[in-house]
Amino acid sequence: MLRRSLDFIYRAAGGLAAFFILAIVVLVFAQVGLNLADKVWAALTGRGVGWTIPSYADFTGFFLAASSFLALAYALRAGGHIRVTLLIGRLPKGPRRALELSVVVISLAMSAYATWYLGLLVLESLEYGDRSPGMVSVPLWIVQMPVLVGLAILTLALIDELFGLLAGQAPSWDGKGENLLSE
Amino acid sequence: MSIATLSIILLVLLFALLGSGLWVAFSLLGVGIAAMAMFSDAPLGLVMATTLWGHSNSWALAALPLFIWMGEILFRSRLSEDMFTGLSPWMNRLPGQLLHVNVFACGIFAAVSGSSAATAATIGKLSIPELSRRGYPEKMILGTLAGSATLGLLIPPSIILIVYGVATEQSIARLFVAGVLPGVLLVSLFVGYVAIWALINRATLPTEDIRASLGEKLRRSRRLVPVILLIVGVIGSIYTGIASPTDAAAVGVVLALLLSWREGTLTRPSFVDGLMGATVTSCMIAFILAGASFLTVAMGFTGIPRVLAEWIGSLGLSTFTLLAALTVFFVIMGCFLDGISVVVLTASVIMPMVMQAGIDPLWFGIFLVIVVEMSQITPPVGFNLFVLQSLTGRDILRVAYAALPFFFLMIAALVIIVVFPGIVTYLPNQM
Repeated sequence: MLRRSLDFIYRAAGGLAAFFILAIVVLVFAQVGLNLADKVWAALTGRGVGWTIPSYADFTGFFLAASSFLALAYALRAGGHIRVTLLIGRLPKGPRRALELSVVVISLAMSAYATWYLGLLVLESLEYGDRSPGMVSVPLWIVQMPVLVGLAILTLALIDELFGLLAGQAPSWDGKGENLLSE
Repeated sequence: MSIATLSIILLVLLFALLGSGLWVAFSLLGVGIAAMAMFSDAPLGLVMATTLWGHSNSWALAALPLFIWMGEILFRSRLSEDMFTGLSPWMNRLPGQLLHVNVFACGIFAAVSGSSAATAATIGKLSIPELSRRGYPEKMILGTLAGSATLGLLIPPSIILIVYGVATEQSIARLFVAGVLPGVLLVSLFVGYVAIWALINRATLPTEDIRASLGEKLRRSRRLVPVILLIVGVIGSIYTGIASPTDAAAVGVVLALLLSWREGTLTRPSFVDGLMGATVTSCMIAFILAGASFLTVAMGFTGIPRVLAEWIGSLGLSTFTLLAALTVFFVIMGCFLDGISVVVLTASVIMPMVMQAGIDPLWFGIFLVIVVEMSQITPPVGFNLFVLQSLTGRDILRVAYAALPFFFLMIAALVIIVVFPGIVTYLPNQM
């Protein structure tokens, strides 16, 4: 039950991250279409209207941040994050497990630390009512939230890994390669 | 503690973290945390949070997932078959014949994909069996493929140039355009080498006899036309300034989807696989960039890059000596680290030194990318070697040996762009 809910969280966040990339394509492509329409209009009437989707560049950035951070845990479990496996890949089973364990503990400490302070940042944005610049101004805490949530899920996934390793299981990224085809 | 001792501590820490198998992004964060904790009283956690947020929401960086996705879509299409049928009839006259298909196919795929490993895999999965069946020597098949696939890094769109541009605040559009002529230079060097090699070793090569009429050749190449249009569209719109790299990438994704839909390779699973693959890769790179931007900020607090720059400045090295020393340094780093890590570490620590020496950061980006290309084919860590190992079952040392001549050709290319920097700067200056 717990296993299934955790896996659901990682997959859902990964799916959401993919959705944000799709959203970037749709948003930017729509703007390019408007630019073209504007050029055609200008050629016909001699005057451009300057159609733009308000603040589209800002939103593209926000979508990108959301996507990058929401995918963190999903990428971790898919073996997507690169690392130097020169040593760890050649160790015998016992020392390898110990090293893998220490890697997870160090990452967990940093991930938890980053999550905590991102939480503070979001709170600060909420408290001071910070808003994004531009024509369409949104409260910053809303667009910072996916980053916080992504980091929190990464922390959760690392805790999950820690328990798994302690229980003697192999790490979830084991044997999934270093994502060779996409470097 | 003196700044020298601290630099050494941080360097040892960096290598210890990376060597232990800690993920690259976390290693960079860790060194940044250590640097700030030792050097300054600035609020560490808050600086980290603002940097992570501030540097990850960026319009320019949004080109990254889009170009990765475009490559993923075309990787799953029939493009590699089209390349082989389309290109092979044209190579009949050149000494070395079908070996050149590897070079040109890699060059073309590099222009739609930003990754050298993907280029090696896409072209290799078809050309390796095809060329070995015809009796071409294995060493040359592997060498041409390993060498030419590194073009994926240089010929725009290039993931690594986006990373460099974002990390050093250079215009990505100008970097892309700057990569075009050096890419052509490398292709010419590779083609020239294969031709000369083939003239000397004529006996070991099979004789091809594909006599095709011009009409037949054109008919066979017809399927390459959409890809060529895609390339010209993407690069052309960036060069002429109609579109920013992010705009061009979005259009590229839509066109790539259209292309694979028309040829019937766009299915629900291939769409989802491609999109998820792009999501994971772009997340990995964005996380490394976030870690690197925090390291850069932390390095600013320590003052190490400034001191290093002053120190190098005081040595009074000629630009040429400095570049030669940096090349050796990067090649050694590249033996153990992947290209993206080399680039972000350079941006964090070495950039001030380069600027101090009066080197054009645009030119230096291209220089760095060619060095990183070399690192793709040096053991023990070279991504192209891994890909070819998994495609052929030959161990990486053997693949690396086959690729060695191409390593030297890239050094030749470096020397050429140092002597004639205009090869890099001419096109972007016309923009």
